[in-house]
Amino acid sequence: MAENGASFKLSTVEKIVKHHFQDNGKTRMNTDSVKLTTELLRLFVLEMAARSCDQARSEGAETVEVEHLEKILPQLLLDF
Amino acid sequence: MAENGPFGAEDYEQVAYTQRLKAAVHHTVGQMCDNISEESGVTFSRQVIAAMSEATMKKCGEFAVDLELFARHGKRTVVNADDVKLVARRNKALERHISLMADSLVSEKEKKKSKKAKKVTAPSNTSDAENDDSNMG
Repeated sequence: MAENGASFKLSTVEKIVKHHFQDNGKTRMNTDSVKLTTELLRLFVLEMAARSCDQARSEGAETVEVEHLEKILPQLLLDF
Repeated sequence: MAENGPFGAEDYEQVAYTQRLKAAVHHTVGQMCDNISEESGVTFSRQVIAAMSEATMKKCGEFAVDLELFARHGKRTVVNADDVKLVARRNKALERHISLMADSLVSEKEKKKSKKAKKVTAPSNTSDAENDDSNMG
């Protein structure tokens, strides 16, 4: 899809996901699912950054602080 | 070699491994934030970037647990694209985006396969492959 800007490395995402698998070693991932999970995480981060940026702007701040992230996080987690 | 205390050598290795993964995520989140602040002119504080990478790690863990359970429910040991679609099912726009991307990945793979087959059968005939490209674009 649209590959503009930075994104996670496929191998990193695969390692993190495998690290969280419960029955160790048995479950594997095919290449498509790794790519799609990476895209999912990329969108999650972009959305989080964009929303906290908007929040900071609406409060007239120059820098995004944790309080801005705290305000947008609940809705973001409901959306993903 | 012999570790006295609550943590053994293996635990330390585990912690070091997760720390490395966290550092990788932190790096990428920082890059993405830099891109956004270049566009918008709003800068991100260090704490925000750290909090965002922590949230991303947690979310990735949730995805992983879901993916494994979905695959197991489908009596498979390999996670495939349908499992990821299920993870994204609650957000309609996200589901559509992921489905489209999955379809394009599949069609890309089939194109490669057919190109390979063509190369095997007729290595000199490249005009067909070029026609395929123009159709896709």
